[in-house]
Amino acid sequence: MSRRRHLLRYLASRLALVPLMLWLIASLVFLLLRVAPGDPIDALLGLRAPPEARAALRQQLGLDQPLLVQYGRYLGDLLHGELGTSLTNNEPVTGVIGHSLPASLELGLVALLIAAVLGLSVGFSGIARPEGKTDLAGRLYGIGTYALPPFWAAMVVQLVFAVWLGWLPVGGRFPATLMPPQGSGFYLLDSLLSGNATQLWGTLRHLVLPASTLGLLLSGVFANALRLNLRRALDSDYVEAARSRGLSERRVVLRHALPNALLPVLTITGITVASLIGGALLIEVTYSWPGVAFRLQEAISQRDYPVVQGIVVVVAALVVAVSVLVDLLVALLDPRISF
Amino acid sequence: MTSRPPLLKALAALLPLVPCLTGCQPPHPAGQLVVANKSSLGSVDPADITTIGGLQLLSAVGDPLYAANAQGHLQPRLAAALPQLSAGGRIARIPLRRDVRFHDGTRFDASAMVFSLERFRALAKMGYLLDDRISGLRASGPYELELQLKRPYSALPALLSSISLTPLSPTAYRQHRTSSLPDRFVGTGPYRLVSSTPQQQTLLPFSGYWGTPARNSGIHLVTLSNSTALFGALVSGEVDVLTSSGLESDQQRALAQRAASGRLVEAIGPAGEIGYLTLLSDRAPLASPLLRRAVALSLDRPLISERVTYGIRAPLRSLVPPPLAGSAPPAWPIYNPRQARTLYRQAGYCQGQRLTLPLTFRSNVPADRLFALTWKAQLQRDLGDCVQLEISGMESTTAYRQLEKGAFPMILLDWSADYPDPDSYLAPMLGCSRSSGNRCLEGNAAAAGSFWSAPGLQAELEASESQSGGQRRELLQRIQRRAAAGAAYIPVWQVAPRAWAQPRLQRPVFDGSGRLVLQALRVR
Repeated sequence: MSRRRHLLRYLASRLALVPLMLWLIASLVFLLLRVAPGDPIDALLGLRAPPEARAALRQQLGLDQPLLVQYGRYLGDLLHGELGTSLTNNEPVTGVIGHSLPASLELGLVALLIAAVLGLSVGFSGIARPEGKTDLAGRLYGIGTYALPPFWAAMVVQLVFAVWLGWLPVGGRFPATLMPPQGSGFYLLDSLLSGNATQLWGTLRHLVLPASTLGLLLSGVFANALRLNLRRALDSDYVEAARSRGLSERRVVLRHALPNALLPVLTITGITVASLIGGALLIEVTYSWPGVAFRLQEAISQRDYPVVQGIVVVVAALVVAVSVLVDLLVALLDPRISF
Repeated sequence: MTSRPPLLKALAALLPLVPCLTGCQPPHPAGQLVVANKSSLGSVDPADITTIGGLQLLSAVGDPLYAANAQGHLQPRLAAALPQLSAGGRIARIPLRRDVRFHDGTRFDASAMVFSLERFRALAKMGYLLDDRISGLRASGPYELELQLKRPYSALPALLSSISLTPLSPTAYRQHRTSSLPDRFVGTGPYRLVSSTPQQQTLLPFSGYWGTPARNSGIHLVTLSNSTALFGALVSGEVDVLTSSGLESDQQRALAQRAASGRLVEAIGPAGEIGYLTLLSDRAPLASPLLRRAVALSLDRPLISERVTYGIRAPLRSLVPPPLAGSAPPAWPIYNPRQARTLYRQAGYCQGQRLTLPLTFRSNVPADRLFALTWKAQLQRDLGDCVQLEISGMESTTAYRQLEKGAFPMILLDWSADYPDPDSYLAPMLGCSRSSGNRCLEGNAAAAGSFWSAPGLQAELEASESQSGGQRRELLQRIQRRAAAGAAYIPVWQVAPRAWAQPRLQRPVFDGSGRLVLQALRVR
C-alpha cells in the first residue's frame, strides 16, 4: 500500500473516533452538571424569590422535566447543531461562544508566538557551551517559568506594569472609550484589516500584558524541550557523521540537528494549542479577558447549563480537531513514524 | 553561535516603545467618564437583570415611577403624584407625566407603562415582585395607570420605585413582547445605551430627556473581574470612578485612606444590604430559644466589624437597615458575655460541658470566611468554656439549595431588598404561610432556613402592609422585637455602597436605593 493510502487510513481511523468521543464528553458534562449541588434557580434568584416564584421559573426553564427528557432534548438539539440559549440572559449559546472564543484564540495564539520565540531562543542559547553559564541559566529559566503559579505571576505583572508603572491597562480587551473593531471577533486582525491605527494600538496595549504573561509561563516548556532534544540530536551518529565531513558547526546545528530536535517541539506545540483553545482560565480571570474560559467559569458559578454544555462540547471538538491535525502533521514530517 | 547579541538587540529595539506605551494611552473623549465595577452584564433587558451592576445600568438608562432620594423619601419620577387609592386600598390610580419621551422618540403614556409591566410579569425572572401584589392593571386614561391590588399595600410607591419596572418603548419592543432583548435598551432615562457587551457598556446623554440633563458627556461602564484589578484601575487612573461592589475590605480601606489624604474623593450611599446569621430553630442544637438568645448575646459586632471589614460594614442590630421605618431602636441585644454565660449555664453548659455550634459560611465570599474565623476566636477568648464554633465553608449556590432542607444549624447570609421598604426585608425572612406553634412548616421562613415563626406573627406582617406612618412604624418595631426574642436570625452588619472618584471629579452621589447617580458625575 502506498504511503498516501496508509496516511488516509490513519486519518480515517482517527476521525472515526471523534463522534464517540464527543458524545461521551457531551453526556459526561450533562450528567456532572446535574449531579453537582446547586441549581440555576438558586444561582439566578439567590435567596430573593418566594418558593412559588422559584417553581414557576423552574418550569419556565424546563428544569422540572425528568432528567431523561432533558437529556434526550439536549442530544437531539446537539445533533441539529443547536446549543440552546443561556439561562441567565436568553442569549443563544452559539453567540456566547462566537463572542468569547475569538478572544481566547487571539490571546492564545499571540501567547504561543511569544512562548515559542522566547522559549526556543532560550533553549537554543545554551547549545554552544553545554553545562556552561548560559546553559545553566536557560535550564533554570525553563524550570522557573514552568513552576511559576500563573495566578501569582499574572498578579505581579499586573501590579508592576499596570498599577505601579501605569504603562499598560489593568485588564479588559479594548479601551472602554473606543468602539471595538467589527468583523471576525479577532480584534488584532479586524483592526489591521480596517486600517484603524487607534483601534490597533488599543488592541495591542490590552493584549501585551496577558499575552506576555501567558507566553512567559509557557516558554519554559519550549526552552526545555528544545534544549533536551537538541542535545540528544547533537550527540547522535548522523551529526557526528556530518561533523566528520568537515561541515561548519553552524551548518551542523542548523541544518542537521535542529530540524530533528524541533519535531517533538511540534507535538508540544499541538498540546499547548489544544489546551489554549479552552482558554487560560487564571490569566483570563486576572486580566478580565472576556475569553471562553472566563465565560465558562461564570457559567459554572451561575449553573447556566446550556452555556457550560455548549462551551465544553465546542472546545472539545476543537481540541480533538487540533490533536488530529498535529498527529497528521507529525506523521507527515517524521519518516520514522509508521501508521 | 550564542544568541545573546540578537536577543539583546531585540530588547534594545523594544526599549523605545516603553515611553510610547505610557504616553500613547487613548485619551477619554472630552467630558466622558469611565466607571468600573465587578459585575458583568449578560443582558440589558430588565426582564433578565438581577445583579447589582445590571440595576446600576438600568438606573441610568431608565426611570422608575417613583424614586427614593438620598434621605430615603419617595418622590414621583415618571408618576406625576403619589397613587390615589380607592376600593379600600385595592385600586391604585397613578397619574403619569406628560412630557416624557422614549429614546426612540415615541411618547411615554399609560399604555406604554401597561405594556412594560405586563411584559415584566410575563417574562422577568423577578416577575414575582408584581405577581405577589398586583392582580391586574390597565390604562384608565391616556396618562393614568390603574393597578388592582391583591390586598391593600401601603408600600406600593416603594415597590414601584424598583428600577426593574422601568418602562420600555412598545415600538422598540414590539417583536420582544414575550422574548428577551439582551443587547438593546430603549427606555426613558437620562442616557441612551449606545453599545453593550458583557464587559463594557457605553451611555450617551439623551437629548430629549424630560428631567435634569446629565452633567457629563457620557459614561463608559466597564467590568473588571477581580478586586485587585478594580483597585489597580482606579489607582493607576485608568478609570475615573469605582464602585465598591465586589471590592474586598482591605482594598476599600486603602481607597478610603487615599480619599482621606485627598488623593481620591469618596462617597457613601444608604445601606441596602444586610449580613445576618440564620439559626435552624426546629432541631438540635439550637431548638432551644434560650440557647439561641445566648448565641445572640455572644456576638461582639463592633469587634468583628473592625477586625473583618476595618469598620467599613457597620454593626447592625435590626433586620431592617436604617433609615427605613422600624429600624430604630435596634431590637437585638448588644454583646453581653456575662448574660450569655448565664443563659448557657441555664441550658446546662459551661460546667465542664461545651456547646459545639456548627457555623457554615459561603466560601466564595471572603468577608464571610473572615467573619467565621474572627467570631470563632472571639468566642474562644470570651466564652471558651461554654461554647465553641465548628466552622465550614460551602459555595453559595450550593448552600442556597440546601437551606430549605434545614441543612445548616447556623449560616451567615446576606440580603439585599428589591426596593427600599421594611416589608422587603422582614417578609422574606419571617413570612410563613403555614405554621405550628413556633415552627414554620411552609413559607419564606422555611425557605430561608430558620423554620421559625410565632403565633400571630404572619397576621402582624400582613397588617403592617396596609398601615402607614407612626402606626406602621410601631408595628414593625413590635415584629422585630418578637423576632429578636425568637433569635432565629441574628443581624450582623449592614453594607453601604461606596464609590471613589479621581480628585478632579466632584463627589459622587447615591440615590435612596443605593445606586450611583451616574448623570450627576462631573469634572469639578
